[in-house]
Amino acid sequence: MEKGLEQNAVELDSVSTYYYGEKRPALRDVTLRIPVGSLALIVGPNGAGKTTLLETILGLLKPRSGRIKVLGYNIPAEASKARALSSYLPQDFMKPPIEPFTAREVVAMGLASSSFSGRLLESGWKKVDRALELLGMMDHADKPFGKLSGGQQQKVLLARAIVREPKLLLLDEPFSAIDLETRSYIVGEIFPGLLRGGCTILLVSHDLDYSSMDADLVIRVVDGRVSQVIMRDAHATH
Amino acid sequence: MLMLLISSIIGGVLAGGLCGVVGAICNRLKLTTMAFSMAHAALAGSALALALGADIISLAMLLAIVTAMILGPLADHLRIPIDLASMTLFSLYNALAFIFIISAPGPALMIESVGQLLWGSILAIRPTYIAYLLLASMIVLSLLIIFWGKISSILFDIRLAEAEGVNVKAYKYAMLVIAGMTVTLALRMTGGFLVFSLLYVPAAASLQLQANMKGIIAASWIFGSASASMGLLMSFLYDLPAGSCITIAALIILLAASAYSRLRASLAAGRRA
Ligand SMILES: Nc1ncnc2c1ncn2[C@@H]1O[C@H](COP(=O)(O)OP(=O)(O)OP(=O)(O)O)[C@@H](O)[C@H]1O
Ligand SMILES: [Mg+2]
Repeated sequence: MEKGLEQNAVELDSVSTYYYGEKRPALRDVTLRIPVGSLALIVGPNGAGKTTLLETILGLLKPRSGRIKVLGYNIPAEASKARALSSYLPQDFMKPPIEPFTAREVVAMGLASSSFSGRLLESGWKKVDRALELLGMMDHADKPFGKLSGGQQQKVLLARAIVREPKLLLLDEPFSAIDLETRSYIVGEIFPGLLRGGCTILLVSHDLDYSSMDADLVIRVVDGRVSQVIMRDAHATH
Repeated sequence: MLMLLISSIIGGVLAGGLCGVVGAICNRLKLTTMAFSMAHAALAGSALALALGADIISLAMLLAIVTAMILGPLADHLRIPIDLASMTLFSLYNALAFIFIISAPGPALMIESVGQLLWGSILAIRPTYIAYLLLASMIVLSLLIIFWGKISSILFDIRLAEAEGVNVKAYKYAMLVIAGMTVTLALRMTGGFLVFSLLYVPAAASLQLQANMKGIIAASWIFGSASASMGLLMSFLYDLPAGSCITIAALIILLAASAYSRLRASLAAGRRA
């Protein structure tokens, strides 16, 4: 059944994605509906296709077949419009110690990426500092990104994702380096605020105990297929 | 004589600074080998212009920019990494450059212009050349200032910038066109084989300072300017090939920067102890 744009943040219809030169698809015939304002967990073993799914949604990987709509925009044709409204926290985020940009500069890039010239006004820098504050990274704001610990780097990138006030937040293993206390603060305080504001969150994790999370749906990816969608909410239909 | 010295110092400051900053950015974007094949495209283009009696700068720039445009598609077509495609074209351009040089009118390898092509000359620095350099420097500087936010996003992580909606392709091609322009201009001074001394040695020196990104770019600009102007002065005084002198000057600066950074680190360690 076709849904209105206002109801689904992400729609995939029979989408298959192949990596360059590969004969086996990394995603095969995936059909998915993710309602606006929901928290969707994407789970599955290593190599299942979770990262591929996120990057296909953003149009970073081009599907060979199928139809994708993100926030009402066709992917990949209108990907840049959908991307401007989305934030992405990649799985492999670590930078070497020589990385010279400071934590504050890295967060500011989140705003720069989707403004015309990338120049930030006073209000932009205030938002940047608020996002750093939220993740408890204010004390490290002027340190070079590469000289932060893995967990600190991940927090800075999470701040960069949040400062964009996204309509769609794609998080690939966002807790892989983050301690338990911060993790429960993010899940218990930051996520609910974003969801209330109408943001849709897609969170990839292979090891998360998702009963602890207040997820609206759980998408299980196995061998490139979406094998299961558990809906918590009755009105969100597959 | 004095005019020549003054104009070569000015040319050196401009071309060296331009090369330094472009080299630092290309290095961050992992476009080093691409710039390499573009430089040799410019060399082959200059040699072709010599053989045909055409305008050297425009033909060199044309070939360099065409190279930047076809490298990506060529690598895809041959299913090889872009670095390998760059080195393949690099060989082709050198082969062509030698053929064009041999077929240039006049006794081959004797004429002044061939030497200028291969190892550069301060005689290349004429008022029009300085005007070109000034224009190019102004373009690069204003683009950097206006678009710094987006450029820094790309320099930090190009894929993340793309995921956030930055048109990274447009920026990358603009960068390659600028690199082609820069290399073509610098080539007249350093010669085809030594233009990298200005692209990458100042960038390497600037990394020694462990500054932030803006600092690295500013230092590359300064180190490039200093290398080129010192080198040209040396070339003028001792009548040695300009390209060789510039390379030696750039290496001296790199060694000095490295020594400075080590000294600073050990002083800091001493203070802590
Ligand atoms: N660049 C690539 N080229 C070719 N195949 C790839 C590439 N990246 C991933 N794959 C393959 O695609 C499949 C899905 O990979 P993907 O990275 O999406 O898995 P994942 O579910 O995110 O795994 P993990 O939990 O380890 O992060 C895997 O079989 C992998 O081998
Ligand atoms: Mg993954």
